[in-house]
Amino acid sequence: MSNEESWFGRFVDTLPTKGWFKFLSKYVVTPYWLWKDPKPKLPGGPRVSSQPSDNVQRMMNLIMPLKDPSEIGKARAVMAIAQNVDEIFGGLDNVGTVHFARFVILGDKLCMISVYDGDFSNYIRDFIVTVGSVFDAIMAEIEGGSALIPTEQNVEAFIEWVHEHDLFQAPDFPTELFTLQDQAKGIGPDGPVHDLSTLPRNLVLQFHSNPDISLGGGYRAYPGFSAAQIREKLGVGW
Amino acid sequence: MTTNSDKAVAKEMVDIMHRPDGDPKLRPIHTNGIGVTGFFKASETAAEYSNSEPFQGNKIPVTIRFSNASGNKTRHDGWSDIRGMATRFHLNGPQDFDLIAMTLQEFFTPDVPSTLEFLKAARPTPYHSATPLQKIRDYLSLKVPKRNRYPHEDLSPDDGGKKYANKHKFAQLPIFQTASIGAPVSYARAAYHAVHTFIITAPNGKRNWVRFTWQPVAGVRPRPIGPDNKPDDDYLNQEIRDRLSDRETARFTLMMSLGEQEDEVNNCTKPWPLHRTRIVMGMLTLNHVLDAKAQESKIEKMSYNPCLLPEGIEPSDDPILHIRRTAYEISSKERHANRCPFAGGQ
Repeated sequence: MSNEESWFGRFVDTLPTKGWFKFLSKYVVTPYWLWKDPKPKLPGGPRVSSQPSDNVQRMMNLIMPLKDPSEIGKARAVMAIAQNVDEIFGGLDNVGTVHFARFVILGDKLCMISVYDGDFSNYIRDFIVTVGSVFDAIMAEIEGGSALIPTEQNVEAFIEWVHEHDLFQAPDFPTELFTLQDQAKGIGPDGPVHDLSTLPRNLVLQFHSNPDISLGGGYRAYPGFSAAQIREKLGVGW
Repeated sequence: MTTNSDKAVAKEMVDIMHRPDGDPKLRPIHTNGIGVTGFFKASETAAEYSNSEPFQGNKIPVTIRFSNASGNKTRHDGWSDIRGMATRFHLNGPQDFDLIAMTLQEFFTPDVPSTLEFLKAARPTPYHSATPLQKIRDYLSLKVPKRNRYPHEDLSPDDGGKKYANKHKFAQLPIFQTASIGAPVSYARAAYHAVHTFIITAPNGKRNWVRFTWQPVAGVRPRPIGPDNKPDDDYLNQEIRDRLSDRETARFTLMMSLGEQEDEVNNCTKPWPLHRTRIVMGMLTLNHVLDAKAQESKIEKMSYNPCLLPEGIEPSDDPILHIRRTAYEISSKERHANRCPFAGGQ
């Protein structure tokens, strides 16, 4: 009788679905591995690249913890944005490199999700120049945000803060996770080859340092084109 | 130009690829297949990027062979395996066009020496499931245990392939993806990637480095398998027959990604980023499954070759693409198929 056909083999195959085994995995096994093989936090946002299509339609998932996550606190965040809609839309028009942007309240966090062209720091800098007052109103509702107000006078610190709160983008090709984790530890591409079977564990452990992540770089319906190119092709006068 | 050294290496590759449970009279890999015919029609945009005959908008007859990658002569459709889609565009020009694609996005090795090494390492060996204790150890190590042995599965390349990937970074992505690739519900419900880079020339003389992918219009759909859902051995051929009966069709869009500077054009282990500019080059319509006699006399005797390219489409310098030309020639000759297209045959 083969291993999987024995009663014990069949029982072991069902272990991952058993409540007590899930409990053991969550409260004993995972903490053990986090102690044994901790993973540094991986940086947020798209990764540096010199190639043209990597520098257009870049994704930002800015996750900002609300200072007051109660219903009243969330309503205050909504008001901060609703009272500044003209400034936000005007600012986005002026920046000119933004494809889409929207705010979302999710649990106890305010999220700004956008798709932009070009360099990340320039994107944030342009925003502060054009809609700095809006960010001041938003940051007043965000945990740790008061120290950055007025954002126009704390540009570099604000850029750094945004970068810290931009979600890590998991690689589109799963084994690249090894490379990114090595880079975070200062290990170059010539470092040792990982045991492929440890990839699932490496992902599990990464969630401890990056509890929220973006799954891949995102789908694009018309990859490789900037907002400016699309406007020009559409003939909408900008 | 094929050298004697290329021939010797390609011959060794073909010899290694033949499995003990295969059949020397059949293809050493992608042994089980089915032939389908239809036509390709280029999009209006395609001619702006390529001056080659397939992309000028004429309705081009095609012959396609779908296959399972395994070299096992017995069909096991439900097993997790890469699937192949070899397409011959029958052109008016002096040379036809073969576009050979598979469901994996990249190849296992970047050059000829590593390919030989990999083929030796991944020679099929008796497959043993993990013991219950090994599985418990894997769970406690936050690893996914080795899959259970399929019914009647005697040999598998899995163990050798995994060992090789644990020594060579370039093989990790394809081995990881192969392990979880599964089985499609239909040959017409999978995406197929041509893996290598080709160079196409536009009417204005501009050359682009490109990669091709077939996207099924019906959508990609894998077959669910689980502990209580044992894989069926033989359903894909009948499925495509049923799908194309009563004048029904299956369609694929030919997508072309444009390479950029610094993209790996000669290394087929490196898939390009998913957000490279994509061009819709045309639509493939499948409308007929060949009968059993034609499967034997035509499809199984056909000699596809990834270097069979019409004027206006050139191979890149990818060494795997070039050794495949010779390996396909040798394989074709050994199984007494029709003469290789480079020798004037079809």
